[in-house]
Amino acid sequence: MNNVIYILVQIVVILAVAPLVNGINRKVKALSQKRKGAPPWQMYFDLYKLLKKNTVVSNVSSWVFKAAPYIVFATALAGALLVPVTSKLAGSHIPGDFILLIYILALGRFFMMAAALDTGSTFGGMGSSREAMISSLIEPSILVSLFTLGLIARSFSLPEIIMSVQNTGIPLSNPVYIMVFLAMVIVLIAEACRIPVDDPSTHLELTMIHEAMILEYSGRHLAFMEYGAAVKQLIFMTLLVNIFLPTDQFITLSGLLAVVLSLIMYVLKIIVVAMVIAMIEIKTVKLRLFSIPNLAALAFILAFLGILQYFILGGGYA
Amino acid sequence: MSMLELKSVLAKKFAECISNYTLKNSNELYIEVDSPATYDICSYIYQELGYPLISMFAADEKQLINSYAVYYVFADRQESLLLIVKTMVKPDEMEITSLSKIIPAADLYEREIKDLFGINPLGHPNPKRLVFHSNWPDGKYPLRKEFNLKQKLDFVQEKISFQKVEGKGVYEIPVGPVHAGIIEPGHFRFSVAGEPIINLEAQLFYVHKGLEKLCEGQSIEKCFYIAERISGDETFTNSLAYCQAIEKIAGITVPQRAQYTRVIFAELERLTSHLGDLGGICLDTGYGFATFQFRMMRGWAYNLADELCGMRFLRSVNKPGGIRKDFMVGKKSILLKYLQKIKKELEDTVDIIKSHSMFIDRVENTGILKPKIAADLNAVGPGGRASGQCNDVRKSFPYAVYDKLEFEIPKHYNGDVNCRMNTKIEECFTSISLMIQAIENMPEGKILEPVTKVEPYRFAFGMTEAPRGENIHWIMTGEHNSIYRYKIRTPSFCNWPALCHAVNGNIVPDFPLINKSFNLSYAGNDL
Repeated sequence: MNNVIYILVQIVVILAVAPLVNGINRKVKALSQKRKGAPPWQMYFDLYKLLKKNTVVSNVSSWVFKAAPYIVFATALAGALLVPVTSKLAGSHIPGDFILLIYILALGRFFMMAAALDTGSTFGGMGSSREAMISSLIEPSILVSLFTLGLIARSFSLPEIIMSVQNTGIPLSNPVYIMVFLAMVIVLIAEACRIPVDDPSTHLELTMIHEAMILEYSGRHLAFMEYGAAVKQLIFMTLLVNIFLPTDQFITLSGLLAVVLSLIMYVLKIIVVAMVIAMIEIKTVKLRLFSIPNLAALAFILAFLGILQYFILGGGYA
Repeated sequence: MSMLELKSVLAKKFAECISNYTLKNSNELYIEVDSPATYDICSYIYQELGYPLISMFAADEKQLINSYAVYYVFADRQESLLLIVKTMVKPDEMEITSLSKIIPAADLYEREIKDLFGINPLGHPNPKRLVFHSNWPDGKYPLRKEFNLKQKLDFVQEKISFQKVEGKGVYEIPVGPVHAGIIEPGHFRFSVAGEPIINLEAQLFYVHKGLEKLCEGQSIEKCFYIAERISGDETFTNSLAYCQAIEKIAGITVPQRAQYTRVIFAELERLTSHLGDLGGICLDTGYGFATFQFRMMRGWAYNLADELCGMRFLRSVNKPGGIRKDFMVGKKSILLKYLQKIKKELEDTVDIIKSHSMFIDRVENTGILKPKIAADLNAVGPGGRASGQCNDVRKSFPYAVYDKLEFEIPKHYNGDVNCRMNTKIEECFTSISLMIQAIENMPEGKILEPVTKVEPYRFAFGMTEAPRGENIHWIMTGEHNSIYRYKIRTPSFCNWPALCHAVNGNIVPDFPLINKSFNLSYAGNDL
């Protein structure tokens, strides 16, 4: 029963908040450009509109093309179950650690890249090859980062990592966490296809990475692709806020009220992080494609310094 | 070299081949040359005298001289002198010797002439069709006078071929002709090895409208409106080039007040265009803030145009002989107000973008057009000036009142996106200063010297510096105030091949940025 509640809360919160993140991001960017911009909840309307629409599928494509949107969405959602949005329900979580999370997302990514190749269009292949390059460059950083946290918490399960940081005071006062945090921010930007890695709002196919892979999609398929991408982005943001900015330890209540309070805090933190990501996008420009490895290297160095410091400082905080 | 010296040099060297010297409109020296000697004379002019080939076109003059004529236009930009080699092509021969191997810039002109007139350039290294794609039937040459504009042509199904690059891992990326943004059509065929581009071939002319043919036989009043619509964002400069050619033919001196007004509008158009380009460069690097800064300033410039003449795109301002209305009466304060506003915002924005290291990293050393290639292809405008080709029609062939105003031409030598961007930024400030000088010094007086009757079969060049560079119109009048032949050579025609060279060796995702830094017109190229 507890697991059912946990799964329901996870799915409802993640699905409800994911489009809002994009909306806030676009709103902040619009304001920086002296535009009014669309309301933050625009993406809900967009998804609703796309879900109502028919899909156009190229007649040279195979089942991969049609299955990919559902696989991408499903894997993102499955990944979301592994990252608790609130620790107040964390006593009842489903088994699975962060390695499962990374590779369940990789499964979705694999199908997305395969589907982009499937139609044989000009830009899909380019998108796939670039995505493959960036994801393989960024994967070591995320793994090393999470290993560091896992070592500190003595568990690879994300709920337990999240529980353990709540007992350590302010994580970001610890050099280990600072390094890992910075690495995770870069990972988030790369995984969410944000400037300076990718430009989600560009119309230039030749420069696209993520967008190039979903160019051929329309209607319902496109809705699932975009929703899947938004959920994936929110997973990484959830990791960031719940590990590095824990607030649940200040909630001394218990029961339903604690969960609600914890969720409100969670949404507020997500909004703040969404704004910060938007600020990063405003302040930077898109990197030259061949400079992205440098950024990935920076992320890896930060993550590696994190794990080194963990060993030097002897068990991190604990 | 002055006109007289030039004449004597040519007369000494090619005495028996040159049949006629005609000086027109004070700086256009036409020499008529026997067709076998054309190659030698042109290569002498290009290689020994060092005059670039700035235009080349044919005209169907069967009614006049029983033959076609091909004009090679060379320019001495120091002396403001045009040297035009005219050679006859008999209707039963229809051949010229290709100059492309010694003058790279002749390549496209010869292919254009071949498509439009059926005059075959012998020995051309790449005689592929240019204006018409392979679906156009053989043997139909629209600029011959006998070609009926009303006929319906057959659609020929044929496969398009592109330059092949072979090797391990080399593949082609076809892009266009329909693009994602709201831009004009053009097909780009990239040969790439991974991300680096080995070769780019641009297939253009999807929006060929047959403007030159449409103008033939039209009255000079009507043709003005066609000239204005050659390219949407070069309205004023094209109409100005047209008017200048007509005024030269009619022998009219345009009143000073009209000349100053023309400077203001020409510079306003340049400012608008450059601000749009700068915004585009920022957009393609994902620099949203700067993009919208430039777009906002461009909006102000459009609003200023609206305030001055009631038309954001500056249509119907010019008229052969002057301008239509005295637009500048009581407009001084509003002009200065807008210009100060734009100037201040521009200074601030430029400071910000130039201190943004990530942005500079994107534009620096991207899309280098080498000075040698720029010179060979006669790259013009900001694209040429960023690669050491410091020529500007406003200085080399001064028109309107540019010789009375003070301004500098930016010089850059690296030829990358950064140089093109800096050239455009500097030219924005120059344009603002020129507009201020023009409004301060504008005399009172007449604004129009009407063109009533023009002599038939007279011809002249109208040259302006369009926002994209050197813009050359050549007009030959027909009977009853009509146009007999109208040749338009916009700067985009020269710069498209330069773009293809600048792209080589860069990576695919940098192409849009390089393309935007040139920002060439499709409509202005395809005509």
